[in-house]
Amino acid sequence: MNRRATLATLLGRGREKPQAPLLPIVNSGLEPYSGPWAYEQAAHLLRRSMFAPTYTQIKAAAGQGLEATLELLFSELPQPEPPLNYYYQDDPNVPVGATWIDAPYSASANFAPYRNQSLRAWAMLQLFQEGVSVREKLTLFWHNHFAVSNINDAKFMYRHIALLRSNAWGNFRDLVKAVTIDPAMLRFLNGNQNTGNAPNENYARELLELFTIGKGPLAGPGDYTNYTEEDISAMARVLTGWRDIGFNTINPDPEVSSVFLSNRHDNGSKQLSHRFDDIIINNMGQDEYAHLIDIIFQKAEVARFICRKLYRWFIYYHIDDNAEQNVIGQMAQVLIDNDFEIRPALMALLRSEHFFDMLNVGPMIKNPLDFIVSSVKTFEVPLPPELPRLYNTMQRFFSSSILQQMEYFNPPSVAGWKAFYQEPLYYRTWINATTLPIRMLITDAMAGPGFVVNGFRVQIDPLSFVATLENPFDPNAVVEEFSRILFPQPITDGQKAVLKDILIPGLPDYEWTVEYSDYLASPDNAALAEAVASKLRQLLQAMLSMPEFYLS
Amino acid sequence: MKRRKFLKATGAVVSLPILLNGFRLSAMPRRSIFNAISDESDRVLVLIQMNGGNDGLNAILPLDQYDRLANVRSNILIPENEILGITDTVGLHPALAGVRSLFDDARLNILQSVGYPNQNRSHFRSTDIWTSGSPAEESWTTGWMGRFFQGGHPSFPENYPNEEYPHPFAITMGSVVSETCQGTAANFSLTLNDPFSLTPLTEGAAGELSDTPYGQELSFLRTTIAQTNAYADSIQEAAEGGNNTVDYPNGNRLAEQLKNVALLISGGLQTKVYVVSIGGFDTHANQVVEGNTASGEHAELLSQISTAMAAFQADLQQLGLEERVVSLTFSEFGRQIRSNDSLGTDHGSAAPMMVFGKCVNPGILGDNPEIPEQVDNQEGVPMQFDFRDVYGSILMDWFEVPEEEVQNLLYPEFQYLPILEPCTPTKAREANAFEQEIEVNAFPNPFRDWANIRFRTNGEWVKLSIYNGLGSEILVLTNRKLPAGEHEIRFEAHGLPAGNYYLRLQLDGRQKTKSLVKL
Repeated sequence: MNRRATLATLLGRGREKPQAPLLPIVNSGLEPYSGPWAYEQAAHLLRRSMFAPTYTQIKAAAGQGLEATLELLFSELPQPEPPLNYYYQDDPNVPVGATWIDAPYSASANFAPYRNQSLRAWAMLQLFQEGVSVREKLTLFWHNHFAVSNINDAKFMYRHIALLRSNAWGNFRDLVKAVTIDPAMLRFLNGNQNTGNAPNENYARELLELFTIGKGPLAGPGDYTNYTEEDISAMARVLTGWRDIGFNTINPDPEVSSVFLSNRHDNGSKQLSHRFDDIIINNMGQDEYAHLIDIIFQKAEVARFICRKLYRWFIYYHIDDNAEQNVIGQMAQVLIDNDFEIRPALMALLRSEHFFDMLNVGPMIKNPLDFIVSSVKTFEVPLPPELPRLYNTMQRFFSSSILQQMEYFNPPSVAGWKAFYQEPLYYRTWINATTLPIRMLITDAMAGPGFVVNGFRVQIDPLSFVATLENPFDPNAVVEEFSRILFPQPITDGQKAVLKDILIPGLPDYEWTVEYSDYLASPDNAALAEAVASKLRQLLQAMLSMPEFYLS
Repeated sequence: MKRRKFLKATGAVVSLPILLNGFRLSAMPRRSIFNAISDESDRVLVLIQMNGGNDGLNAILPLDQYDRLANVRSNILIPENEILGITDTVGLHPALAGVRSLFDDARLNILQSVGYPNQNRSHFRSTDIWTSGSPAEESWTTGWMGRFFQGGHPSFPENYPNEEYPHPFAITMGSVVSETCQGTAANFSLTLNDPFSLTPLTEGAAGELSDTPYGQELSFLRTTIAQTNAYADSIQEAAEGGNNTVDYPNGNRLAEQLKNVALLISGGLQTKVYVVSIGGFDTHANQVVEGNTASGEHAELLSQISTAMAAFQADLQQLGLEERVVSLTFSEFGRQIRSNDSLGTDHGSAAPMMVFGKCVNPGILGDNPEIPEQVDNQEGVPMQFDFRDVYGSILMDWFEVPEEEVQNLLYPEFQYLPILEPCTPTKAREANAFEQEIEVNAFPNPFRDWANIRFRTNGEWVKLSIYNGLGSEILVLTNRKLPAGEHEIRFEAHGLPAGNYYLRLQLDGRQKTKSLVKL
């Protein structure tokens, strides 16, 4: 069998893996961060744990310190107000302004379109109203993790996302149990069609491969190191008997829920492989699924698997040996020591030396939702306060997120969005010839004319934004401070010069000081205001289209 | 045309049966069957990715196995009288009427039961294997076409496009680049939705790049922005200069993509590879409509492929481009032989591939899958052909990659398959008419502890292996050159669980699988 080896030596190139370029190595681990705490560190923490912090929020966090900021990020919050009917006049049970989450459908009218629109607008609104909290970022993390999509009943999807949100930093094992019999999941991976008669393997396979323990290297026929094909087959049988209730129902009574039907359950005993210590699961009826999940969670690899995913969500896609040993391994231990509570493990990650390592500041390409929210919320753009215009505004952002390939409620596959698992591109998946123009479209609009929703113009107000700066009179200081707000790392002097030249083309610095002072002296003079505002808009358009703004 | 005349003159020289008559191929390095005919630079390959795992047994049906299929998938099986027969033993799903016409017009090569040893049933892992061309046991981060391009363009994307290569090497129709075209430093494919609306992007002032992860990501962003702008003009020019000559079916995402492919080729774009895709093949449930098994989700998907391909081929023919384009379908795996209770099928093993074009070897390569009398739980269709042999043969013939280089790009055990042929089709041939039948028998069969496998060879390289019902290669009984003549090798199955096994015998480019039953 040395044919292969000989040929490879003779022919050399081609099949070998690409060499990763040599980069400085991040040596730090999970030990608590002990360096300085200032604006840069606060900005890094908030940008990674939120969709987009405002300048005010970053400065406040810089004043409060790391521990206080962490406590704030993980403070209990009430569940948000549910999605509302924002325009549809003909639902007898749901007047405009009320929620539809428990209201029946109708045989004579189609309520699905307005409810789906409402759900989407509401989901986008949660990102804008996230507060200084890691909860929304984690809700999307779990949505990417379980990746339920294409459930054509907004009530099911609302309930599913509410489950994820209420367990955002709760117990991982409990969340997997709840999701296993969640009505939307039962439909998504055919759990509702998994019967003792002819088991449907769909959920069992993904439970192992994607939701809990992950797939290891191929170790033998049908053996993926952490589990085998036999386990999938046996576990599918364990999970038989569950159905969802209330899908698209016109009956006002049944709540959306799940039910166990013992006549659809496989009552036989199920033999797991040596990967699960040859355990035999005897019939436990409706408690059997939870027992199975307890068995899976006995394996330490479950903790490592979810910690790697959290790492890729909050730090960087590339996990080198140091990160595997000194970060993932230790974080997994924190998770196990805390009985799979996510909060202490994630807090340990976000307060670690590793998290604040300069090499981990900036290399994350913003996902489309990060990108959209950061092009708007960073500048505290005023949004229309009332229905239907608030939801209509959110619809506009939602449409852009679809074109940028990240649609809430519709991950492209059960593995979630490619950016978080697909080698070697990872985050780079977001960026290509079709998505780049869509990104520039939205930043050009926000820094430029914005868009109008029923008479309300949604756009950055450059004059009120520049007024929040420490020194808006000096053009060098304006460029410098904008850069600190928009970019994760300093830009070069050459870049600053180009940007300043956009603000005051070919003019000496004091011309800006004069113009800006003139405007402040007579703020009601439209011509003076517009002269300053248009220069600022050009500057912001240029800065928002720089690739540095695509990074966090 | 000049080319056609030349082709006629050299027809005798380029005919290929010599390659199949038992010469050890490395003793006589094979060259592309096309390289005397035309310049490879204007040949185009279209990859049609069917996401989710296509149920091959419900697309290309083994008519001689119908009763056995009825034993284990009666709730989804198409009524026998609705199947479109294309040979005595092979039939198509009734939604594939357009594909049948292409078969009849000698525009289609079907490869039976394509897979790889040690089938992985994860969508993601198996898709990675199919797009990278790696063995199941190894994880490669480049795509098989990406490595091909990289060979000639080691510094890509630095200084591309340039005067010599002004056009994108590959285009993925859609909004996410295909892993198939991933190179070592960048992906060789450009994404494209609408060739008529390409907006120039702002290219800001570029600062220095630090040698850090941040610097690397920044460099990637800058390069992608610059390249998008640089390629946009050539694409727009091709779109405006090209045309379509037929009506493509409406509401068919695949047809929309193929229509743009034809448009760009006709407009002179020099792109070599287009990746198009159609999703929805993960039919765990409701693959068919209860009681009306010829309709349902799978039928709808096959119909989209069939109508889209029929329109695309007709368009190419009228545009005079038929000899420049070959299209190939692939999916991450087939599905299990047994159906489940939800009118669907779970993840399986091998499945057929279809290769379309005027320059294909028309007909069917390989035997019908053999459905055992007792189908095991989770059993899939065993592989007959290795997908890397399909890729490699196309690289050799279509892109004139030397055989040694193909071995290097894919795997050293590469075996050439006669999938393409000089572009002079007449009529589809009978199944396997161009192959010398392999003689192989096992006895006893069914067996208890061992079986003897007897076969005849012509003195070529022989690989004999045993697969289980999950598609894993559990034993390699021989893998070496054997003298011509009759051979007998014992398969010791002591200690293996009872159930279905398959022997797979590979004699250079010929291969055969045969079912074995352990009691």
